[in-house]
Amino acid sequence: MYASNEGWPVTDLIQYLFNGLVAGSIFAIAAVGISLLYSVLRLVNFAAGDFLTLGAFITYFFSVTLELNFILSIIISMLAGMAICWFLELVLWRNLRRNKAGTLALFLVATGVALMLRPIIQYIFGTETRRFNVDILKTYDFFGARIPQTQLVVLVFATISILLIALFMAKARIGKDMRAYANNPSLAAVSGINVDRVVMATWLISGALGSLAGVFQGLVQGQFNNAMGETLLLSFFAAVVLGTIGDAYGALIGGLLLGLFMELSQLDIFFGGVPSNYKPVVAFAALVLVLLFKPEGLFGYRSRKV
Amino acid sequence: MEAFIQPGFWILVLAMAGIYGVFSLGLQIQYGVAGVMNFGHVGMMAITGYAIAILVIRFQWSFWWAAFVGVALAALGGALLGLSTLRLSGDYFAIASIAFAEITRYWILNSDGITGGAQGTLAIPNPRGFGGYTDEPEVILTWITDRLFPYIGDNASRDLAVLLVVWPFFFLFLWISARLQKTSWARVLRATREDDDVPRSLGKNVFRFRLQALVIGSVFGGIAGAFWAVQFMLLAPEDFLRIVTFYGWMILILAGATRVKGLAIAAIFFGFLYGATRFVEFWPISLLSAPERSYLRIFLIGVVLIALMVKRPQGLFGKRQEMVLE
Repeated sequence: MYASNEGWPVTDLIQYLFNGLVAGSIFAIAAVGISLLYSVLRLVNFAAGDFLTLGAFITYFFSVTLELNFILSIIISMLAGMAICWFLELVLWRNLRRNKAGTLALFLVATGVALMLRPIIQYIFGTETRRFNVDILKTYDFFGARIPQTQLVVLVFATISILLIALFMAKARIGKDMRAYANNPSLAAVSGINVDRVVMATWLISGALGSLAGVFQGLVQGQFNNAMGETLLLSFFAAVVLGTIGDAYGALIGGLLLGLFMELSQLDIFFGGVPSNYKPVVAFAALVLVLLFKPEGLFGYRSRKV
Repeated sequence: MEAFIQPGFWILVLAMAGIYGVFSLGLQIQYGVAGVMNFGHVGMMAITGYAIAILVIRFQWSFWWAAFVGVALAALGGALLGLSTLRLSGDYFAIASIAFAEITRYWILNSDGITGGAQGTLAIPNPRGFGGYTDEPEVILTWITDRLFPYIGDNASRDLAVLLVVWPFFFLFLWISARLQKTSWARVLRATREDDDVPRSLGKNVFRFRLQALVIGSVFGGIAGAFWAVQFMLLAPEDFLRIVTFYGWMILILAGATRVKGLAIAAIFFGFLYGATRFVEFWPISLLSAPERSYLRIFLIGVVLIALMVKRPQGLFGKRQEMVLE
């Protein structure tokens, strides 16, 4: 039953658990940005995937082309992601809100942003496959499982980021304001919360997290091209829905669970193992199944109108 | 700029406009009438296109039967999508519908033995050793070009024949859709778009009405897929990317979501955008390579979508209050 060509089953299990944690931590970071935007703005951010791609390419530009320090390049790319979100909020989203744009309008404008962003990335950075200037070959052996150094580093930093995000949501003033506004916009506005400030903060956070997740994903993949984020978008949505749409903490957990689920589905005990090229389908199927049987997500209440 | 005065360019623009016009008509019935936001419409096009290719090439079916079954399968796809997820609220359903289309595309991409995989329909295992599959429609297209050749010479192209086949259908479907909008069925749906509870209190099964709209729209998506198959003769998974659904949405929003008549004009605008960024050699487009042109097309569609939603969400021909209600 545990037939495997190499090593013993525990090795496979450790390998997939590790891969799942790495993938899941990246999903978590991307998903929390999407979930925050939904909770505050009722906006499903179809452009989120392309912000990941952009973050990876900007980091690539500064760290490989301009040979700057890698950490510094990541910070620059996060700032760039924030700057673009800031700009779009000022010229685009704020106007749409004032005009009371409906669900479809928000959908289509977010899609429009994605459709514009994608060719811009392609035009500036080209279509070639890129890789960061890091040693992707060094691996550690852990009970027979292959643990690449880059993935280990990504896992550590992603975990730290996740904890910081959770802490920020719980403790920081603006994080609390965000949750208050998401719960009840009119009550929050009456109680003196500056709505524009909350919305802007949400955009900035999601911009920064998008870039960060993009760099992490680029590191984990080893190489990436301009389709990287776009192909992951639905997996992020799956994580968001799994963790209850609009629930930031839920998105963190949903992301981790989805990453683990996608990797562990390749184990032999799971219908003989899902082929790895069907991994995205596992995420889509998870998305549809959650929508079917538990549309309120793992942490939601039935009271939500679905 | 020479290209713009060549008849061949405009023939292609109109042929594409007809095909994508039928495609967006499906969205028009789903969203414009029933308020269903289907972002996986391209899946129906893929189902029909691939069903035709597989049935004709692999199982030697007649094109007409294959087209009939292909469109029926698209309707079935719409029904399955609807039965499983249409009870969800709008934004949840939109996401689920994208997942539906993407699952379809991944399946096509990874089932080499059945669909030809990444290489497209040319790689479908085929007892006849022959790649194309439209020889039956081809007879009609050739008949049309032969009739026209004495009058317009080389302008009597295959594209023109496709155009002359597709547009009568497009107008017929527009007429059907316009009639459909005046029925009590559409009035119930329009009421559900604004408030579920009123029609429900009158004893109407809102879910069933929406499901019907989704299936009818899927049929149009499937028919567009059949036309697509005739026009291009071979299909590949990358012809059915998510973006194609938004071609349809752009046409729909441009026309005004509830305006049947605007659809033809909006479709021609899209056909122009598509043709000008894909097949034309003129300055400054000629400075761009083929992939760069496809980015330009995607970019322009993004621009049009955003500009419309910000400046004129009701479209060129729509009523503002119908669009803002949501």
